[in-house]
Amino acid sequence: MKYSTKLSLLLALLFTSVAATAQFTVTGNVSDSSGEPLIGVSIIVKGSTTGTVTDFNGDFSLNVGGESADLQFSYTGFASQTVNVTSGSSTINVVLEEDIANLEEVVVTGLASGIKRSNLANNVATISGQELTEVTTQQTVDGALYGKMTGVNIVSTSGAPGGGIAMRLRGVSSLTGNNQPLFIIDGVYISNVEIPNGLRFASGANAGNEENASNRIADLNPEDIESIEVLKGASAAAIYGTRANAGVVIITTKQGKAGKTKVRFEQDFGANTIQRYAGRRQYTADEVEAAFGADERKLFEEAQAAGEIFDYEKEIYGNTGFISDSRLSVSGGNDKTVFYFNTSYRDEEGIIENTGFDRFSMRLNVDHKITDKIRIGVNTNYINSFASRSFTGNENEGGLSYGYNLAFTRDWVNLFPDELGNYPFNPNAAGNPIFVRDNTLNEERNNRLISGANLEINLFQNDQTVVKVTGNAGLDFLFNETFVYVPETHQGQVGRQNGFIGAGRNKAFNYNYQSFLVVDHFTESNINFNTQVGVSYLNFDRNFVLNQATQLIPGQRSLDNAGAQEIIQTLGTEEEFGFVAQEQINFDDKIIGTLGIRFDKSSLNGDPNKYFAFPRASLAVNVANFDFWNVGAVSQFKLRAAYGETGSSAAFGSLFTSLVSTNIDGQVGVRAGGSLGDANLEPETSQELEFGADIGILDNKLNLGITYYIRDVENLLYQNSLPTSTGFVNESRRDLDLRNQGLEISLGLTPVRTESFTWNSNVNYWFNRSEVTRLGVPPFVPPGVAFGLGLGTFFVEQGQPITQFKGNGPEGPITIGDSEPDFQLGWFNQIKIGKNIDFNFLTHWKQGGDVLNLTRLLTDLGGVTPEEYSDLEGYIEDGSYFRLREVGLYYTLPKFTNAISRLRVGVSGRNLITLTDYSSYDPEVSTKGGSGLSNSIEVTPFPSSRQAYFHITAEF
Amino acid sequence: MKNIVLIFSALGLMLLSACTIEEQFDPNGPSVSGILTNAEPNELDLLVYGALSRMRTSWDNYVTSTGTIARELYLFNADPRNTEDLLGKDGRSLDNNTFYLTGPFASRYQTVKNCNLLLDALASAQGASEAELNGYRGFAKTIKALMFLQELMRLNDNGIRVDVADADNLGPFVAKGEAFAEIQSLLQEGFNDLQGADFHFDLGRGFAGFDTPASFAQFNRAIAARAAVYAGQYGDALGYLEDSFLDLGGDLMAGPEMVFSTASGDVLNPVFKPAGQSGDQIIVHNDLISDIRENDTRISKFRERVSATSQDGLNGTHEIALYENATSSIDIIRNEELVLIYAEANIQENNFGLAVDALNVIRNAYSLGDYTGDESRDALIDEMLYQRRYSFWAEGHRMFDLRRYGLLNADFLPIDREGDLVFNQFPIPLSENP
Repeated sequence: MKYSTKLSLLLALLFTSVAATAQFTVTGNVSDSSGEPLIGVSIIVKGSTTGTVTDFNGDFSLNVGGESADLQFSYTGFASQTVNVTSGSSTINVVLEEDIANLEEVVVTGLASGIKRSNLANNVATISGQELTEVTTQQTVDGALYGKMTGVNIVSTSGAPGGGIAMRLRGVSSLTGNNQPLFIIDGVYISNVEIPNGLRFASGANAGNEENASNRIADLNPEDIESIEVLKGASAAAIYGTRANAGVVIITTKQGKAGKTKVRFEQDFGANTIQRYAGRRQYTADEVEAAFGADERKLFEEAQAAGEIFDYEKEIYGNTGFISDSRLSVSGGNDKTVFYFNTSYRDEEGIIENTGFDRFSMRLNVDHKITDKIRIGVNTNYINSFASRSFTGNENEGGLSYGYNLAFTRDWVNLFPDELGNYPFNPNAAGNPIFVRDNTLNEERNNRLISGANLEINLFQNDQTVVKVTGNAGLDFLFNETFVYVPETHQGQVGRQNGFIGAGRNKAFNYNYQSFLVVDHFTESNINFNTQVGVSYLNFDRNFVLNQATQLIPGQRSLDNAGAQEIIQTLGTEEEFGFVAQEQINFDDKIIGTLGIRFDKSSLNGDPNKYFAFPRASLAVNVANFDFWNVGAVSQFKLRAAYGETGSSAAFGSLFTSLVSTNIDGQVGVRAGGSLGDANLEPETSQELEFGADIGILDNKLNLGITYYIRDVENLLYQNSLPTSTGFVNESRRDLDLRNQGLEISLGLTPVRTESFTWNSNVNYWFNRSEVTRLGVPPFVPPGVAFGLGLGTFFVEQGQPITQFKGNGPEGPITIGDSEPDFQLGWFNQIKIGKNIDFNFLTHWKQGGDVLNLTRLLTDLGGVTPEEYSDLEGYIEDGSYFRLREVGLYYTLPKFTNAISRLRVGVSGRNLITLTDYSSYDPEVSTKGGSGLSNSIEVTPFPSSRQAYFHITAEF
Repeated sequence: MKNIVLIFSALGLMLLSACTIEEQFDPNGPSVSGILTNAEPNELDLLVYGALSRMRTSWDNYVTSTGTIARELYLFNADPRNTEDLLGKDGRSLDNNTFYLTGPFASRYQTVKNCNLLLDALASAQGASEAELNGYRGFAKTIKALMFLQELMRLNDNGIRVDVADADNLGPFVAKGEAFAEIQSLLQEGFNDLQGADFHFDLGRGFAGFDTPASFAQFNRAIAARAAVYAGQYGDALGYLEDSFLDLGGDLMAGPEMVFSTASGDVLNPVFKPAGQSGDQIIVHNDLISDIRENDTRISKFRERVSATSQDGLNGTHEIALYENATSSIDIIRNEELVLIYAEANIQENNFGLAVDALNVIRNAYSLGDYTGDESRDALIDEMLYQRRYSFWAEGHRMFDLRRYGLLNADFLPIDREGDLVFNQFPIPLSENP
């Protein structure tokens, strides 16, 4: 207390000003354009901290010093207005206009403060909860973002319900570490882990990342979200320091508003169907003989005669999955306490029988003012989610993955059970997909609690200065249980493992806290100094235990009813601590500058107590706010530049060189063979310079934002394949520099805005280019990103994009493709017809970006590639597509009873139309999960689905 | 109210205080540096068991990669490279960045690393007698030599690295001749170390009968004999055989084995394939079926499939029946091989009588009766190669036997598909930065 008081007094002294003497009172009312009173509008005397908010009726009363003053009225979602009042003014009535260009929304740029979008020096993409969910119902939060903002690239690692999304912001930022951004929800650093379930020990997949696990952002209910901000690069995310190399996604959940308690119930019904079949080759008897021999022709003709030619692709992927999503929210409060409560249940069935996802989520957000000076908020979210994902993706002779085995399955072989219920063995593949569908399990259940508390204390306030202490602490506890069951009767199990159970018990516990001192000082000459200093701490702990049982007792599904058991445990702890200081100076909304620095230390670094500095600086100049600006049509013209540095530490374990335990005939041993660690690792750093302009024309009916960024990752941490004659496989190195640069343009338009018809349109265009600018080793194939040069792989080479594909040529590796798209373009439209009809749609065009289609390699080998694709050269294909990503049509019924204040019905769809030349299921694909370089490689994925919904919403 | 402000502010300030992060250690495994300092015999033993365990890894790839090239088998599974690359389909070459090369290569060198760690750890080991230290040395050098030999045979003229103790300063790839010399010298050193040594460790079921320093030394000499014939040093081979467990009248199956079990963390026999399994099956090359002599009981290594199978333009009627079940042992070297080494070396040294005696041991064991053919060098070589072909089918020998006699080529071997190639050796793995 003493310390803070002293500090605040000191700061106050620095900016001492003279207090005014005369006073007068202003009263009035604030409403929106339709005349509805606005509650909670903030009214501030410009150049001071004096202010108030409107009450339930939109009324306000404010004592103002001096003879005249400028009052600034601001309210979320509305353009702010400045009104001059004098002691002679009596009652003033203010009508706020909707903020079409979102210039007023506050963007969280520091850890403890925000800034108005119109003053922002970075291109921070923001999506409101409304934009997130208004077109159609979203399966997962991350998947909902694609096409809605620039610089974001999303691929699906699995089409299974319940997620599997890899998100990349402004290109690849890391080879081995996490390329996924940091997710922070209401100040809580949450886990987005992909937890492998060990099915690779039955399927023969190479690694846990081939198990197509979902990422745990899937647990969040998109409906709870008020807004999402995406800090795409170091220049915006520097204040997040050593975890922010891949960007930061800041999610704010909804909060109640003082006033009448609102009850809202929403129900969606929908269906999942496959987006596109890859197809199967249609054979004639002659073709069968040519391809498989005379014996096979006989089998084919017999099957034909019996009418038993099947389409196993349709048989497996042809399910229509029913979707039901119910949500109930209650929100409200009074001037001291507001709350938001939401409970939801989503139940979704996949396009493969016995697959699906359900999620029960309950959230309570409460905000309470203990006194005028102390505010406390607690947000708590409990989630119970369940997914049944079955078997897809890469494998090696496990006989489980559908696509893998369909590639070798011949449509004239009857794989259905006989009258006794016995499934035949598949004579041409390692497994019978019908058996797998009907008899195996691959399930996971998550119990999760995410809770955060935040506190704000107004320590000191006078006319010019506000001193606040803010603190927040949060935790994310995830208990994940996985269960994989393959019966002993599966043909791949007979005689070897004789049945497989993999039962995971995985715990991830994250907690973090931060505490800040924030000083806001306003001078008479309209300069605002915002100073913040603080600390941040986080701790991630995980304990993953995978229990396996083989040699099963028939029919038994418990671990002990088996002849052999094995346990694999993976432990990890990460701890980080940092200091932050930031100064933001705003000269009358004309020139806004920010300087900041963060010092971080991390247990992932060789010296866990060494601090690394991550500075930032930015400048925004609102040219149109200067007095000399006289171009009336251009209401906003902002030039901006921002620079920042972030870091990323090596993945857990990179510091250590350890022995691996082994067993032979019951005798335990240890062996070499893992990674060669480096006990002196330091974090890689990313430096980003971004600059651009924001232009608003015709009262912001047309908004243009242009941003160019150059991001250099220096000393990028990577795993290099060691010569395996060392006895080790990989080593951690850092002699690699990578540059990403790109252009992001967003254009907001309101072509029509009348009483009866409003059309808002947003175009987002972006591209990214990467180049390896330094490499201290010869060009190499990063371990684990693909399947070797023989089939095509990512290949790291100086002077080349990090996303290039190479394959074997006559004289060494040759370039065969590049997964980086040429550009992407999202087009979002909101059309309002009359008062009752809303029509919204989002299209997404991705131009270029190659995909390595190894599904076709397998179907070629098995002879089932459809005729039209059988002549394609190589396995690299153009992944361009144009997609109607979201479309929705809603009708708000005229009010017919007082019991229901609003009733809305609608229909919507997701991924309804895709135009592409790509030969397989979906060019948005990654067979190796979400981390590292892995994307744009397809190996028999869970095919993507399209969804259609019917919605009904009632508000009370 | 002041109190609340005070409490919250105090809490806030507590959070401000910096914390110290503790030194990190790996919670998921013992550290390499730990075992290199003051290791006790119980820890050293763990490296022995780790080596025995690891030398089994990728043995299936070793057998199927060399066996496919030698046209003794196909691996029909979902990886196209088993039938494309290895058979040179449409002129394809062997890839230096693919599992059939890198899998066995890496695991053999990991076993070498275990032996080198063991040898390094001995310097500061505590509590082991000198005889016990020699026991570790003899074991480590013998296994190391065996691993080098296995990879040298695959890489052949490309040579191998033999100086790999220091990961930061790897020795060069040495030529084939030098590598053979290094292997023999390692084996000799190991053999010397084993004299008068003690084993603190228990080599387990797989080395039953070869688990004392003296009997392990016989195994060492057997490997030396194998290396010598592979190197064409037939006189030396005969010398090494004298101290090995060669027994012309004894059990042909005698010899140390790689063992498998369902114990936690252990692995199953990777070459065993369940009867009738499709999608992952070792298919016998049809020539083995057509070429086998009447009454040869080694036909039992092949099981006729209910229906013939085909993949990628290749066909087969029989599948592997070499191992009874998934925990059957795999021989490392057995008396049968020593008998045939004895025969081969004697043919090369022109002792045809001794060679025929040895060949007859094998012939009679498989119901073929005594040799009645020509006692000429060429005829005896043909006979010896026939015996080796069926005695060691799918055990990782055929490719090297053919190469040794200039037969690893398209003139001698059947070309199943037009355009297929016969490879002579594997390339150096890409990660070795040759």
